[in-house]
Amino acid sequence: MNLEDELRSALERREPSPDFTNRVLARVSGAPARRAARPWVRWVAALAASVLLAVGAVEYRRYQGERARSQVLLAVRIAGGKLRKAQKKVQTLHMVRRSVT
Amino acid sequence: MPERAPSTAGGLEFAGLVRQHQAMVFSVAWHFLRDRALAEELAQEVFLSLHQHLAVLESAEHAQYWLRKVTANRALDVVRRRQRRPMVSLEAVAEPVAATAAGDPMLGETLRKLVATLPEKARMIVILRYQEDLDPAEIAEVLGIPVGTVKSQLQRALALLRVKLSRGHGEKAV
Repeated sequence: MNLEDELRSALERREPSPDFTNRVLARVSGAPARRAARPWVRWVAALAASVLLAVGAVEYRRYQGERARSQVLLAVRIAGGKLRKAQKKVQTLHMVRRSVT
Repeated sequence: MPERAPSTAGGLEFAGLVRQHQAMVFSVAWHFLRDRALAEELAQEVFLSLHQHLAVLESAEHAQYWLRKVTANRALDVVRRRQRRPMVSLEAVAEPVAATAAGDPMLGETLRKLVATLPEKARMIVILRYQEDLDPAEIAEVLGIPVGTVKSQLQRALALLRVKLSRGHGEKAV
């Protein structure tokens, strides 16, 4: 007995069920085809992303500008208050000197 | 009759490829898994995958090579993933009930059963060697392993099969 010949004989190809081909073709027709995205969909998506980025950038710059402006106003208000206080002290000192002389 | 899918790409007609290669795909799966339903399911999945990759296949030979490679590797994956059959070493397998002899009509079935008990990789190597008549270099390419590994596993598998078969003869003689 030649084992290799016996193996060739034992492992011969066999046919699947008679309706195998039809079942495969049915599954292929029923399966949703994997289609590549249409070119215009890609362009629209890219355009939408660009617009969103541009709007976001403009809004961010506007927000930063407003924030800086409000900080400057606050600083000016604080400085003004301090100046007024110093001015009052100077006036009080003048009045005291005059009354002494 | 199902509606035929418009599946021609690169000069390859899908339905024709299914008819031409279904015996090869199914047999690799069936000899490896020893489960007809599972083998048919796997074969169907392989052909569905072929349908999705039809555009990248350049020739009938390329399609055949692709089918063989995908079938072998998916069958290996099925066994590894599902572990439907606990792995048993060849030495641990009980001797065939009927002793075998050359020309014995039971020999084929006995051999198929013994092949099914081989470790996964060795089993696939034996199937690709004797069902598909591939040489070790081709088997190595299909399975993505070194040629030396294919040769050593093949020799070891054949030696184990010989031992089991001769043991069967010995018992019969006794």
